[in-house]
Amino acid sequence: MDRLSRRQFLRALSTGGALYAFGRTPGTVMAQTAAVDAFSDYKSLVCVFLLGGNDSWSVVVPRSDAEYAAYAASRQNLAIAQDVLLPIGPLEPDGAEYGVHPSMADVQSLFEMGRCAVIANVGPLIEPVTLEMYQQGTVSLPPQLFSHNDQQDQWHSLRGHRTLRSGWAGRIADVLAEQTTSQRLALNISLSGTTLFQAGEIAAPYVMGPTGTIFTAVGDRRAAFERIVYASQTNVYGRAFADVQDRALRYTTLVNGALTAAPVLTTTFPASALATQLKTVARMIAVRDQLGMSRQIFYVAVGGFDTHDSQLVNQPKLLGDVSASLAAFYNATVELGVSASVTTFTQSDFSRTLTSNGDGSDHAWGGIQFVIGDAVKGRNIYGRYPVLEIGGPVDVGGGRLIPSISTDQYAATLTRWFGVDPAHQTLITPNIGNFAQQDLAFML
Amino acid sequence: MAGLAVAFVQPSHGAPVDRSEAFRFLQQATFGPTKMDIDGLVALGDSSLAYRRWINEQIAIPPSLLLPVIQAKWSSGLRGPELNKARQDAWFRITVLERDQLRQRVAFALSEIMVVSERGALTERQFALADYHDVLVRNAFGDFRQLIEQVTLHPAMGVYLSMLGNRKPDLALNIRPDENYARELLQLFTIGLVQLNPDGTIRTNQIGAPIPTYDQSVIEGFANVFTGWNYSGATSFSTAIVNRITQARPMQAYPEEHSPVAKRLLDYSGALTSELPPDQTPAKDLSAALDNVFNHPNVAPFIARRLIQRLVASNPSSEYVARVAAVFADDGSGRRGQLGAVVRAILLDPEARPNLDTASDATGKLKEPLLRLIQLWRAYKASSKNGVYRLLNADYIFGQGHLLSPSVFNFFTPDYAPQGEIAERALVAPELQIATEYLNTVITNYLYAQVFARNSTKMNLAADAIVINLSEEVALASNPDAIVMSLSTKLLGGRISPALAAEARAGVLRWPVTSRGNRVAEAMFLIVSSPEYAVQR
Repeated sequence: MDRLSRRQFLRALSTGGALYAFGRTPGTVMAQTAAVDAFSDYKSLVCVFLLGGNDSWSVVVPRSDAEYAAYAASRQNLAIAQDVLLPIGPLEPDGAEYGVHPSMADVQSLFEMGRCAVIANVGPLIEPVTLEMYQQGTVSLPPQLFSHNDQQDQWHSLRGHRTLRSGWAGRIADVLAEQTTSQRLALNISLSGTTLFQAGEIAAPYVMGPTGTIFTAVGDRRAAFERIVYASQTNVYGRAFADVQDRALRYTTLVNGALTAAPVLTTTFPASALATQLKTVARMIAVRDQLGMSRQIFYVAVGGFDTHDSQLVNQPKLLGDVSASLAAFYNATVELGVSASVTTFTQSDFSRTLTSNGDGSDHAWGGIQFVIGDAVKGRNIYGRYPVLEIGGPVDVGGGRLIPSISTDQYAATLTRWFGVDPAHQTLITPNIGNFAQQDLAFML
Repeated sequence: MAGLAVAFVQPSHGAPVDRSEAFRFLQQATFGPTKMDIDGLVALGDSSLAYRRWINEQIAIPPSLLLPVIQAKWSSGLRGPELNKARQDAWFRITVLERDQLRQRVAFALSEIMVVSERGALTERQFALADYHDVLVRNAFGDFRQLIEQVTLHPAMGVYLSMLGNRKPDLALNIRPDENYARELLQLFTIGLVQLNPDGTIRTNQIGAPIPTYDQSVIEGFANVFTGWNYSGATSFSTAIVNRITQARPMQAYPEEHSPVAKRLLDYSGALTSELPPDQTPAKDLSAALDNVFNHPNVAPFIARRLIQRLVASNPSSEYVARVAAVFADDGSGRRGQLGAVVRAILLDPEARPNLDTASDATGKLKEPLLRLIQLWRAYKASSKNGVYRLLNADYIFGQGHLLSPSVFNFFTPDYAPQGEIAERALVAPELQIATEYLNTVITNYLYAQVFARNSTKMNLAADAIVINLSEEVALASNPDAIVMSLSTKLLGGRISPALAAEARAGVLRWPVTSRGNRVAEAMFLIVSSPEYAVQR
């Protein structure tokens, strides 16, 4: 970052939140950044977003009799049968036994191999919440709980009530700017459209699409096209559009050139939209050296999880795809020799109500997420798996469960593994100071 | 601007509409200006009257409908995915050829507010999708209260947001009503999440925080209202069936599955009631609940801002929103929610018709990507040998298509602001959300193929190729300035920057004079792929 950019960054973050607590004075933070050398190793984070709000209570389910009975009593016609759950054996059991959905054999296997961790009951929080605090209104809550786009935005931005227009992956790109100057591509790459997650205060992501693409125009024609893109525009929308065209021109050619020379992966991927994106991510990682990349964050997404209807028909197909796609991607990182350098993690709008609306479920709050890779301390459940009881100790109504872990804690743990100076933690995860445990210790 | 730009003349009494200004108006009000449309508008006389007359003419044109097309295709034997294609074909054909342009443009805008989509549970419900389009088209200048009722009861919406088949609560089985439609009706279709002032700005409390419009108890109240409805014509809720007839008829109430509980509604100053008593009929509950939504003070600024953003400008001033919202609240004859009056107010507002030479650089908007294509098609009389306008999976190429949104949140959100100048100036640019590096490249390549490979100078094109007619410019091929002038007039209303004009001219000259088609195509490609063409000012 040059000085102007630094000032813009700090201004954006400080005006974004009056509550913003810097660990030290801004000038010191940035001065220190400037002194840090480039990374000598490679790491990437791969965010798999399950759009629509994945019903976690079909994903990891209690198997032991007492807990299953409570689950079945709550979920009624949405309950997954006890005897079809695929058992998982956490190294540090909490007293109950658990299984994963029968369509998720690959995830079961990754968990048992110690390559996958379960994060139990994570969701947007500004500060720790108890049922009593919630009911008495004595706690600050994320705005517009249970609304899709607002809660997606909370996962992406961690902004709470601030007006931040950046995402936590985007801010990572901002603070790592000087350590990644040799990178020829944006640190953030989306395979699935524009996402707030990757918007920096300054750094712009690159939306490459599910497989990448190339420009048809070549030669004089392309040169003319470029000159027109770089000509001054009198209208603000024209300028913003030209900015996108500029990145498209620079990155598309670069990426296409690198991918053309990429080794062919022997790992087979399913034929789904999610797997197609993850396969492209694997190919991009394979050409990381040609592109000068030492730190990358990829965003892939898959929809369909808003199961208000026909949940028992639709969700198993979705979970089967997620499981098989995640496993194929993990296998590809093994093939590429980067399975300890690549960490894949899931996010979703929210989990869903324990109660049923007949044949589906509605928008809720905390839920289950997976973290996968050889840098993950796998085969464990982090956080507290909640009591699945309507009117239970963490139910704010209708079986909407209060998270025990905040998205800030989840993100902070991944951020530290990624190599961001802890001095910047509050810039990336602005609410982290409200939580005692700033690192959930699921990463090596 | 200088160069080939035609100077804008402020409309004055007695003067006919300036052609460049007519072009600008038709960009807002149609799927793309054509020479014929501009001639027609100019012929309506005095510029202080011509726009209003044109709008009145448009309102009087009977709507072009999709359901009859789908029914005819079904009768001729088409089934399954072929009906999906037929619906897309028919919509493109309407946008290119039919005269009810303003109605269709407003309906398209409404389809991006009250979203249903073929992508998802409606994949095999072509009759429902076609008829949903027809509901939007019929009501485009109609009564908003009637529109939200027809939308609410439409099986397409019923399936998409799962009100169809929504049952009363059964507490013993932990079943309560589905909240999907209740939530999105309020959040996305009518009032939004936070209270608005009449000018669309956000109301705040004493500590400066936005004030929510409702809480979870209101969602649950509306969810209970929307119980008991299913496909029409059955003797009971559980025996209702889907077929090509019931897909296109309003859902029917089956009292045995309607929730009998009292239902919380929106509470606001002037609300007739904020709770429905228990044990009312489904129809009575529905009517009172929709009245409760319709009369909420947010609806006028909420819908005004969204329609302005779809037709005219991404960042209307609060005064502009207030003027349009006031017309929504009262059309001048005491009636609320008259969309014809609202559309008229949007297009005739001084802020929609500024002097571009002095207007702010934030005037206008980025065009919706599909409109970049359809505008080209209309300006260059696109046609195919078999008469079909077939562009399948438009959303894969342009990031959008008719009733093809990836979710109820539309292709883009009204408040999207990319980092950089737009965000720093506290502006928004909704369409930029899908102007990604990826889609922009795909679109540029599509336009490339359209311009170079599917134009009227090419021989032996496929029967279904949509071909643009370059004959007027080909006739000018020995005169580079004349080619550029003609392209600029048809595609940019004559307002081309000197830099783009020079590049287009140089493009012409890269071909020998004998390569007449390529001379035109080279310049055309550079114009339609330019940032200038991507913007509607």
